[in-house]
Amino acid sequence: MSNIDIELVSVSKSFGLVPVVHDISLQIPKGEFVSILGPSGCGKTTTLNMIAGFNAPSLGDIRIRGKSQVRIPPERRNIGLVFQNYALFPHMTVAENVGFGLRMRGASRSQISLAVRDALRGVHLEGFGSRYPRELSGGQQQRVALARAIAPRPSVLLLDEPLSNLDLKLREAMRVELKEIQESLGMTFVYVTHDQEEAMAMSDRIVVMWQGAIAQEGSPAEIYSRPKTSFVADFIGRSNILPMSDLVLRPPYLDFAIADGALRLRSTEAWSGQDMRFCCIRPECIRFLAEGEAAAQGANQLTGRLHRVVNLGAQLELFVEIAKTLLVSATMPSGAAGRLPPLGHEVRLSIAAQDVRLLAR
Amino acid sequence: MNRMTGILFWLALLAVLAFITMPIVVVVAASLSPTSAVSFDPSQWTLRWYADLASQRWLQPFLLSVEVAAVVAVTSGVLGLLAAYALVYERIPASDAIMSFLLSPLSVPQIVKGVAIVLFLSQIGLQGLLGTPALIAAHVVLALPFVTRMVATSIANFDRGLDRAAQILGANKLQRLIHVLLPMVKPGVLSGVTFAFIISFNNIPLSVFLVRPGDTTLPITVINYLEYSLDPVMAAVNVASMIFILAAIFTFEKIGGFSAQIHGGSK
Repeated sequence: MSNIDIELVSVSKSFGLVPVVHDISLQIPKGEFVSILGPSGCGKTTTLNMIAGFNAPSLGDIRIRGKSQVRIPPERRNIGLVFQNYALFPHMTVAENVGFGLRMRGASRSQISLAVRDALRGVHLEGFGSRYPRELSGGQQQRVALARAIAPRPSVLLLDEPLSNLDLKLREAMRVELKEIQESLGMTFVYVTHDQEEAMAMSDRIVVMWQGAIAQEGSPAEIYSRPKTSFVADFIGRSNILPMSDLVLRPPYLDFAIADGALRLRSTEAWSGQDMRFCCIRPECIRFLAEGEAAAQGANQLTGRLHRVVNLGAQLELFVEIAKTLLVSATMPSGAAGRLPPLGHEVRLSIAAQDVRLLAR
Repeated sequence: MNRMTGILFWLALLAVLAFITMPIVVVVAASLSPTSAVSFDPSQWTLRWYADLASQRWLQPFLLSVEVAAVVAVTSGVLGLLAAYALVYERIPASDAIMSFLLSPLSVPQIVKGVAIVLFLSQIGLQGLLGTPALIAAHVVLALPFVTRMVATSIANFDRGLDRAAQILGANKLQRLIHVLLPMVKPGVLSGVTFAFIISFNNIPLSVFLVRPGDTTLPITVINYLEYSLDPVMAAVNVASMIFILAAIFTFEKIGGFSAQIHGGSK
């Protein structure tokens, strides 16, 4: 018995002539927290709706535990779904909302009340059972929606940007809580979001979608430190994306020019073909060298002019002009501010060769 | 300047309210006056005209009106709900055309409708239906556009996200209708039903063609009575039916709570 919970096999979806999702294949193992991450209009919600059964794929197959779902209506898929706007039933109490799934499945009164109590305890809303949704705050409604979705113990829980209507503090607290709930239930979570921080914070695996296709798939660390395309590098975190030219292979390095030939950089990454025309350097990978400090063996060393310093609280972001009209951004801990020269003065930077990533497209 | 507009606004409002309520005050005073002359002196007021209401002359028409109005309310409530469900929720083919057809009785004058129904029934040899059955059918035709329209509006405002939520929670179509859609549109249905009841209970122009002599609805009985006499009994009948309508509205509102805000849910 395989432990793949959800499988998408070459799934495509068009609405009329408009293609929305194009040839997506994906395997989600049991118990994994997977985020589908992408900007609005990338097809992530359509993908979620196809897993839930609200949209049928135009092509391809969707399987849950090996069984094709294409002909199975949503009500018989045994999937939980947390909606972006919660979609709580306004005419039912919290307990009735949470017990709805079991009631529809014909569970007994005592089973329902037990499951409702468990689910409400799980989201820290004991004692709220007799309230109506309109009497709750946004965060509490969010928890009720979550409790309602997990009370029938679905095999898979889908979450459609569930935190986007909450304020920042609550959102951050809920991230941790969601992850804890997922781990304690051992349930497969598929989480759709456009918020890369949310995806990074909770996921075992992130699927980055762009223009209806999967741009990259991997662990949060992998996606962050080894983005494959300029879209992913740009969308996840902050990065300096620079066009490359005049590539020369000097094993173990790839040596190339940036800024119209004004500077050369080297990378330890393998060059895989013509469509690699950009490199990406994360701001935190650019080290500011103090007076007299030398760059490590094999690292790139650059000199530039300190153009601007932006205080981000825990960090400072430096904008350094390394060639005419080419600014790179570098971050350093705020505590090291004393070592910086005044604006307009020369600074030296070092970038390890393995931190220079090559991007496709 | 602003103050002036404020004063004007309140004066206009008072004038409108007076225009609406003064006739009612006069009718109430007339029903309590000892003679046909309307008296506004409370010390002279009497309830004796109201005793007349218990006579068969008024009780029978009243009961007929209530019976017809109740059947009309329930029938047009059920039909209006079914029509609005098919046309607005399921969007069956040609929904807009069918909706226009259902609303078309609104644009035919009631007198024309009344004559047409009488002629039609006699033409096809069913004049035996004149009286209560024809009254009920005609009132349903009259009330149905209002009921359908009201239910259609509440179905159009229904958040289909709730239907999806119920569906993914395992509810089949029938369960979703019973547990989600119906409770959510109940206020609209009940206000439509209330409307239908009042439309039927107060109707004159249609009923006047369809009632059988000696077995008339309350408004028709009032019209007939007015041809011969104008006395405080008349006023008492009107006040009593006004109180009855208010009580009916109040009851329906208690059941349905259609003025309550039940849509405050997740927004």
